[in-house]
Amino acid sequence: MTARRPPSTARAGRRTLLCTALCLAVSGAPMVRAQTEPPGEAQTIELKRPQGQPLKYPLPPIDPAQVPAPLPEVRRESLPVPDRWRIMEGLGLTEKWWDPYHPNVYKADKPFPPFSNWGHDWFLNVGLISDSLLEARRLPTPVGAQTTERPGEIDVFGQGRQSTINQNLIASVAIIQGDTTFRPPDYEFRLVVAVNGNRSQAEEVRALRIDPRQGTVRRDGHVGVQEAFVDKHLRNVSTRYDFDSLRIGIQPFISDFRGFVFQDNALGVRLFGTRDNNRWQYNLGWFRRIEKDTNSGLNDLGLPLRRDDSLVANLFRQDFPRPGHTTQFSVIYNVNREGSGRYYNRNGFLERPAVFGDGRGHDYRVLYLGLNGDGHFGPWNLSTSLYAALGRDNHSPFAQRPNRIQAAFAAAELSRDFDWLRLRSTVLVASGDKDPFDATATGFDAIQENPQIAGADTSFWIRQAVPLVGGGGVALSGRNGLLPSLRSSKDSGQSNFVNPGLVLLGVGADVDLTPQLRLLGNISKLDFVNTSVLSVLRAQAGISRDIGVDVSAGLQYRPFQTQNIVLNASLAMLLPGKGLRQLYDEDQRGPQYSLLLNLLLTY
Amino acid sequence: MTRKFLHCLVIPALALVLAACGSGSGSNAPSCIGTCAAPPASPPPAGLGALSVADVQRVASQAVAEAQARQARATIAVVDRVGNVLLVFRMNGAQNTFRIASGRAAVGGLENIDSLPDSLAAIAKALTGAYLSSDGNAFSTRTASQIIQQNFNPGELLQPSGPLYGVQFSQFSCSDVMRRDADGSIGPKRSPLGLAADPGGIPLYRDGHLAGAIGVIADGQYSLDLDIGDVDSDLDEVIAVAGSSGYAAPADIRADRITVDGRSLRFTDSTTLVSNPEAAPSYASLAGAAIAVPGYAAAGARAGTQFGTPASGLRPDTGSFADLRGQVLVDAGNNNRYAARNGSDGLLGQAAVGQILRAALVVASRARAQIRRPLGSAAQVSIAVVDSQGEILGLLRSPDAPVFGIDVAVQKARTAAFFSSTAAAGQLQTLAPANYVNPPATSSIDAYVTRLRAFIADNTALANGIAYSTRAIGNLSRPLYPDGISPAPAGPLSTPLANWSPFHDGLQLDLSYNAVIAATAGDASIGCTGLNRLMNGMQVFAGAVPIYRNGQLLGAIGVSGDGVDQDDMVAFLGLANAATVINDGTGNANAAIRADTVVAAGTRLRYVQCPQSPFNDSTEQNACVGR
Repeated sequence: MTARRPPSTARAGRRTLLCTALCLAVSGAPMVRAQTEPPGEAQTIELKRPQGQPLKYPLPPIDPAQVPAPLPEVRRESLPVPDRWRIMEGLGLTEKWWDPYHPNVYKADKPFPPFSNWGHDWFLNVGLISDSLLEARRLPTPVGAQTTERPGEIDVFGQGRQSTINQNLIASVAIIQGDTTFRPPDYEFRLVVAVNGNRSQAEEVRALRIDPRQGTVRRDGHVGVQEAFVDKHLRNVSTRYDFDSLRIGIQPFISDFRGFVFQDNALGVRLFGTRDNNRWQYNLGWFRRIEKDTNSGLNDLGLPLRRDDSLVANLFRQDFPRPGHTTQFSVIYNVNREGSGRYYNRNGFLERPAVFGDGRGHDYRVLYLGLNGDGHFGPWNLSTSLYAALGRDNHSPFAQRPNRIQAAFAAAELSRDFDWLRLRSTVLVASGDKDPFDATATGFDAIQENPQIAGADTSFWIRQAVPLVGGGGVALSGRNGLLPSLRSSKDSGQSNFVNPGLVLLGVGADVDLTPQLRLLGNISKLDFVNTSVLSVLRAQAGISRDIGVDVSAGLQYRPFQTQNIVLNASLAMLLPGKGLRQLYDEDQRGPQYSLLLNLLLTY
Repeated sequence: MTRKFLHCLVIPALALVLAACGSGSGSNAPSCIGTCAAPPASPPPAGLGALSVADVQRVASQAVAEAQARQARATIAVVDRVGNVLLVFRMNGAQNTFRIASGRAAVGGLENIDSLPDSLAAIAKALTGAYLSSDGNAFSTRTASQIIQQNFNPGELLQPSGPLYGVQFSQFSCSDVMRRDADGSIGPKRSPLGLAADPGGIPLYRDGHLAGAIGVIADGQYSLDLDIGDVDSDLDEVIAVAGSSGYAAPADIRADRITVDGRSLRFTDSTTLVSNPEAAPSYASLAGAAIAVPGYAAAGARAGTQFGTPASGLRPDTGSFADLRGQVLVDAGNNNRYAARNGSDGLLGQAAVGQILRAALVVASRARAQIRRPLGSAAQVSIAVVDSQGEILGLLRSPDAPVFGIDVAVQKARTAAFFSSTAAAGQLQTLAPANYVNPPATSSIDAYVTRLRAFIADNTALANGIAYSTRAIGNLSRPLYPDGISPAPAGPLSTPLANWSPFHDGLQLDLSYNAVIAATAGDASIGCTGLNRLMNGMQVFAGAVPIYRNGQLLGAIGVSGDGVDQDDMVAFLGLANAATVINDGTGNANAAIRADTVVAAGTRLRYVQCPQSPFNDSTEQNACVGR
């Protein structure tokens, strides 16, 4: 989430809050400060009315029956206050530190007194989020290769029920200098730390950790720095507070409205700002990805930074082509130089190079050209995304030679609100590779996706990582990911453009049953575009493109109609099509499912 | 049609352009990646797939030209598919000997032996290229290197060992299954050093059929590739590749098009030649000589035998397995060497043996091949049934199964039968130690029994009637237990990891060590281990299960030739299916005595593992559970 994003981009935050720590940390980014009147040129210039001349109007006649004017010798009953933030104090309204809904010095509603010797207008904003997750799922799970949990396990597929309990505590501190109300702050120093504890359980050894001796339960935890940046407001460029700003450090960034290509809390430098009364917005950035802790998904600063850089340039145009719709042009150049050495994750699994093909390392560089839109045309809401990925991989794991990358992605979500009901339809196509042994890779992959579409993490396909059992150490689709890009993992793997691609056709509804209770439902038909690479990986001919139907339903309960207490529950099932039945023990195991229970408490 | 239409329609309807749509919607690529035609018929039609003398000489000339261009002096062997040595050509100045060295810090076993003639290395490498390949897969000695090490892939930590761990110790000269020079063209022929992992053994194809292989040694090292993450430039390999020019394996069946658990196998590394094979000098002009190798080859070039004809020692069965296109081994009189027969112990009858072989071959014919192209091919395997004393009661093959699996299927069956017998521990304890050559040392066989019993905390182990599959014996024979996990103790039947190498792997090699060394010195004795029950040596990878009747051990079935999970399934499920026909209690071990009831050092042994998506003709999974 980019600060000062156009209002329409806030749709990305409209997703359900069933979320990993990573997403939560992103959603914990600072709120957008509106770009509104009155205008001003700089802090030190006295405010003037733009008209230049004060308006004149006659004073009303004095009514003697009304309250008499104060007498000059009577002491004032209110004291002058040093700034307007304390007007409410003067009226006798006192603050409570735990109450974010009233003026609160810890929520940057007033300057923070201990900072007063630094000068004027230093604010403190403290936040705390607790995110508790209980997840149960059933996935195709192989028995351990070397040893099994039980005697008599003499086939590949074992018992597939798994569960996860995940607790995140996300603390944020921001120190802000400037007028926080009407114009962008001059400085912001922000630190977000997430503390995670998690416990997972599976029914087969080697599902959670590579060493079968470590059994079927895994407990882990991590402390991750999700944001640590300095934001310097460089200048205002118009009387309407159009501006240029520079942000340096670990910061959240999302490449487009729905997080299709790149969403991360990466180390970066980003120049951003607005023009023409906020109708144009731009980002120019460089980001280097941070290695993620395997089981929490949080940033792991104890490891060297990844040799993966993204250069980003994008431009948003509001009210284009029609008022109410924002169009984004995006260019992202991703350079990955992780071809040397091996990276094993904390569970012992090799992530780079992926256990896939010839096992040699590879570097790649990919240019993403994107055109995205979000907004409405009359009563119709439309969100679109179109990407081309062009580049070069210096060693294809199958062709075992350099490879051209030519892939494409398109998605559209059309919706309409009928009072308390929103109906949605979704079309999404990610191109697939038709011949893994040729010199061109045509399967689309993202840098780090976090897609908010088709039910997002309430849906099975996006929420769960489906392993490609017997097809190497790669997942058919990643956790919190949409693309079946056969990566070792979304967080730590390299992009892979030799993949089967995806076609998603979906419908959904958001139903506001009461102001507190929302019901979400989605049905998506999923197909691969081309299963050639799956056939090669599994040495299995004629795998059908039919993945199946993803059916999901979610409930969101906000008892006080605020975001401070949110309870989410969802259930999703993947009803297998022929392709999935050819790959997994679907008929014997029963459908794959995903059950989530999530409580979010926000201060 | 409708879906394809839909895929391409949806996006233009949104005024978007998707470049890949038009080309990416088909389920199958043109070069046969998905559902493909049936595998080529085998054996090839008469006159195809055999090397002529001119072919053999051309291969040698091309190899010599490349060696000369590199200022190298090579010894080159050419063999046919059943292992007849067609030519051993030694360039003038070639080293007379070579050194066996894995590159690991191992001492003992075959490591550091440096007194053997170079021709033996060249022959072993050529045999490996021929024996591991088929009309559906082309494997090289580099492929062998990739699949026999302690991790698969080699260099990838924490992964289980190579799927064919231990296969290098097969095809021995002391094997009763393998044929000798004196048997004329009848194969399969024995190998002086087992199978090789040193790059430089490359299969040769003629008319699209596997015709033989070339093996080269020029660098004096008989080694292997410890890390496949890099790209080596190996002198032996480039010379062999040059030799194979014009006889190269079809690109679509080479190892690098074949995956095992998602990992591509390796055919060759660098193949950049400095000579032009087409301009190779005439054979007559080569600076060197075709040499005789006593026990393996006469001097001079000869033509290869056509595979699958009686002259090759393998032919289609004309008896009860003809309907399954079964292939049998024959002697010089064209008599089936291993027709189904009664057990020497009087337990398994001829009819039951026939049912077991038939049922196993039927399973194989339905099984999804793991190592064959095109995708959709059926597994092709060798199947052996032995009795409780290790005597071969029958041997049957799919027509294009790789030749190495003949000896290995018998090794596996004997290993399963032997280790499941209550006499195993006692018989092992009587054996003489292995006498290592360089440096001289002894390795006690008895000590392995002691270590095993301590390891699984059972002083009756190998005498208590537990049914051991070769997968389970393999678990105990790996240098890491659990397999591939580090740090972990060595399996009790393995050399400890620090001193381990594919040339020094523990009990498996030690059992045959003395006979193998003696054979290199000309000893023509048959029997590798001193035990008739393990006459051609022990094998330590999956593919065999013991056969029982009402709790009594009758023998074992061993299968080799495709993926190890397929081998396991053909053996286990074939036996289970046969049991329903035989219907006298004969069948798999009762689940209560199988090795996967044994927990050693906190880790359970495996019994078998049947493959995912086991059959080409159904979506059935988990085909073996409950059988």
